Amino acid sequence: MSNELNKPGRIIRAPENFIDASLSQAITKEGLNEERRNFLRKSFVAATAAIAGTAALSQSAMAATSEGDPLILNHTEYDQTLGLPVATNPYGVPSKYETNLIRRESPGLTNVGGASVAFSPLQGLFGIITPSGLHFERHHQGWQDMDPAKHRLMVMGMVKNPKVYTMDDIMRLPSVSRIHFLECGANTATEWGNVAVPTVQYTHGMVSCSEFTGVLLSTLLDDCGFDKKNGKFVLAEGADGSGMTRTISMENALDDVIVAYGQNGEMLRPENGYPLRLVVPGVQGVSSVKWLRRIEVGDKPYDCKDEVSHYVDLMPNGMTRQYTSIQEAKSVITSPSGGQVLQGKGFYNITGIAWTGRGKITRVDVSADGGKTWRTARLETPVLSKAITRFNIDWVWDGSPAILQSRAMDDTGYVQPKINQLRGVRGTKSIYHNNAIQSWRVADFGEVSNVQVN
Amino acid sequence: MYKLTKAIFAVSLLGLSFGAIAQPLPGIGRTALPKEIAAWDIDVRGDFKGIPKGKGSVALGNQVWDEKCASCHGTFGESLEVFGPIVGGTTKEDMKVGHVKALSDGSEPKRSTLMKVPTLSTIWDYINRAMPWNAPKTLTTDEVYGVVAYILNMGDILPADFVLSNENIAEVQKTMPNRNGMISMLDPKNTKEFDMWKARGKGDIKNPACMKDCVKKVEITSVLPDYACDAHGNLAEQNRTFGAVRGADKLISCNPHPSIEELNRTFNQSQAKR
Repeated sequence: MSNELNKPGRIIRAPENFIDASLSQAITKEGLNEERRNFLRKSFVAATAAIAGTAALSQSAMAATSEGDPLILNHTEYDQTLGLPVATNPYGVPSKYETNLIRRESPGLTNVGGASVAFSPLQGLFGIITPSGLHFERHHQGWQDMDPAKHRLMVMGMVKNPKVYTMDDIMRLPSVSRIHFLECGANTATEWGNVAVPTVQYTHGMVSCSEFTGVLLSTLLDDCGFDKKNGKFVLAEGADGSGMTRTISMENALDDVIVAYGQNGEMLRPENGYPLRLVVPGVQGVSSVKWLRRIEVGDKPYDCKDEVSHYVDLMPNGMTRQYTSIQEAKSVITSPSGGQVLQGKGFYNITGIAWTGRGKITRVDVSADGGKTWRTARLETPVLSKAITRFNIDWVWDGSPAILQSRAMDDTGYVQPKINQLRGVRGTKSIYHNNAIQSWRVADFGEVSNVQVN
Repeated sequence: MYKLTKAIFAVSLLGLSFGAIAQPLPGIGRTALPKEIAAWDIDVRGDFKGIPKGKGSVALGNQVWDEKCASCHGTFGESLEVFGPIVGGTTKEDMKVGHVKALSDGSEPKRSTLMKVPTLSTIWDYINRAMPWNAPKTLTTDEVYGVVAYILNMGDILPADFVLSNENIAEVQKTMPNRNGMISMLDPKNTKEFDMWKARGKGDIKNPACMKDCVKKVEITSVLPDYACDAHGNLAEQNRTFGAVRGADKLISCNPHPSIEELNRTFNQSQAKR
């Protein structure tokens, strides 16, 4: 009973029981290892701090000694006062208690913010849609907030009638709204050689998923009368300083590529290409050219900077794979994940995301013992092509060390590989397309850390 | 009924891609004018389609470089301070065979642009469209030729008195150190085993979806290095303050790190007890 009442006070433990029961058990049985010693040292510091922080302590003590939780027994600051009027925030913002979950840069990864990455906080996101303001950012020459009235899209090259479209034109066209992931080709790049970063935000935070609204590229190509016989490739080009260019196959262009202006029900965010971007489903994010201003139809690939120097995969024999566009099946457990701490033994919902550039996710398996045994997780609906799929699986943590992994399969039969399988073929220097199974080690005191296993 | 709906759906899908609106859409867009196309059609392809007439000497390039490029890329194009190096790691032998040896023997861990790039057109195109970084598209055509010539001169690919032009650039391409260094997924002979260009292609790694007794003994092979323990700040402040888990304010399993042997011993001991 007192144990139950202690729960709300668990925010900061009272100093007398600063050692978790599972840890003290482990110490009794197996003695102190180095890790447990570190934990004790740190817990003692925390316990001392808790004594100093009397407010936190009193909350905990109150719960333990009173007839119940004061948050239930007493009125609160919310239930006896008047709330704020409508439209106080004409454009709504997250709660003030949610400020921890924001896009973040990985220190030391790049030297200038204009050619950098801000990672999406996957550790705290739910479902399959990334809030637009938390979509990862990758810019090559900074971002611009472009005036939509001045934006033009030109479609030219091997077409009967090269055309110029304004936003007015584009938004009159038949539109589609589709949910797709965008993943940077370099997502998880830091982990090719060894573990390098602590949390899922930095290991996998260059993937996001949105509902994009726009016109199919095929509609525009048809409108200009593209050369169906000789037009084999499409060049997409951005209107920003980098003038980002990428070659897209005509097969993709006619299949599901979207010239998008909408994202999650509103216009694109400037950081994501406002007012117009390409969305090339399943292909590394760099192809989904932001601030799209030109489409050229051609008969050969374009050998753009990000097709010969970057976004290419160096193999151990010194040869470089080029035009490796597809983002293969991948998954990661987002909670519990690196840098998080479990709050004691018992039930947990292991949750994560899976995606594949080749089609639909068909299955995700989860292991809690480092890949020895696997159980199949539940896929939450909707399961969509080239979109993030959410998976969940029940887990009762018995307080002993565990290694959590997830493994995705897609509808081509492809199974997400282990890091050593990837390295066996591609070595450790290829930077891009690391879709390896991620391992999270759970220590007996509940801390989760990034590890790699055989 | 279901079948009929499905059939109609399939036909309409087909129509959307290949015919229903193949006619120009009335009242939408307008024909692009030749001058407009010329203003935006700046891309230069691997076969140099699209490269404008012009020429620039190594000396002109040197001048532009010192003024507009060196502050980021270093006097000799070697700097790592802001971006990756442009020059370095290529040899006369590489120029002969067209494949940079340092890419396989690891002698230049920081791969330079000249080590990687197979197509000279790309360097021309990229400088023309995106450089200088903070003032892109401000160089004249001749200056772009000059800067490309100077970069190749710094890489010992062109002599100091060279003048690069639209007429000789295809010849210079034949000396690019890594011109034969690519395995293109666009070449069908490279995609017999696997294909990372086509959406429904095969992957290059096969992982059987084993469910039981998949690994004899689990071994941790890598953990967060000590120097990276605190590099990303306070992780408690990067997680919710309520819910299933909290963020660690300091990573205990990394400060200092127990040895991998000890982690493996602890893990396998507890597994054995199950």
